[in-house]
Amino acid sequence: MSQYIVTFAVLIFFWYILSGYLEPFYIGAGIICCAIVTLISTDLLFLSNETSVLRSVGTFIRFIGYLPRLILAIIIANFDVAYRVLHPRMPIDPGIITVDTPFKNDILRTAFANALTLTPGTVTVEVVGGRYTVHALVREAAEESLLREKDMQKSLAHVFGEGEE
Amino acid sequence: MMNTLASIFVVIGLFFMVVGALGLIRLPDFYTRVHASGKCDTMGEGMMLLGFILYEGTSLIAVKMFLLVLFIFITSPTAVHAIMNVAHTCGTEPWKIGDERR
Repeated sequence: MSQYIVTFAVLIFFWYILSGYLEPFYIGAGIICCAIVTLISTDLLFLSNETSVLRSVGTFIRFIGYLPRLILAIIIANFDVAYRVLHPRMPIDPGIITVDTPFKNDILRTAFANALTLTPGTVTVEVVGGRYTVHALVREAAEESLLREKDMQKSLAHVFGEGEE
Repeated sequence: MMNTLASIFVVIGLFFMVVGALGLIRLPDFYTRVHASGKCDTMGEGMMLLGFILYEGTSLIAVKMFLLVLFIFITSPTAVHAIMNVAHTCGTEPWKIGDERR
């Protein structure tokens, strides 16, 4: 039940942000639409295996706490790519490497894949189970930074409440 | 003051967009090009929208643009991953040092 309430609250918040009107007609239409969408697709916002709303909210808050580090890493990675593109001789050495992770949660896997795409000169090519196939712009540097990346793996695992094995 | 800060952010964003476009032309093969466009476009768009938010000040439009930044940062890497995955599945060979440009 609380899942439905949270979904509805999020949707009605978006409705107000996107419309910007507070007249009864628009809010009424919003309530009807949000109610229908809530009934149909609550299980998209809250995965059926994660029953506790409180846990989801905790995950969300911890994820916000993790964001600044991710943004810093993204900025560094971008300057790296810019340097390599603008350098006259283009010091790149692309290659494909694989990374093994113990992640089981789907959202956690998605978050890590997106983090890999945005950060250290790598793009996620394929994810099978916990094994990531990654294309790196500079193979050696990427291998090195993926060792360091264990850091990011650990903090992401902590965010989603999944222990290391 | 706020306008100066906003223009600084927009210029940084423009710089990254230009680098992304340059990378698209300069880099040697499909995978490396996706690197340039995927990373630099995400960052460039984010920075430019941040500049617009600062210019706009506190209003509903600023909140909308902030949501835009948020969704770009979620969807852009996902789209890049989808493109890469298709190329990998179709068997595109990655470029190595010494190969010809494609």
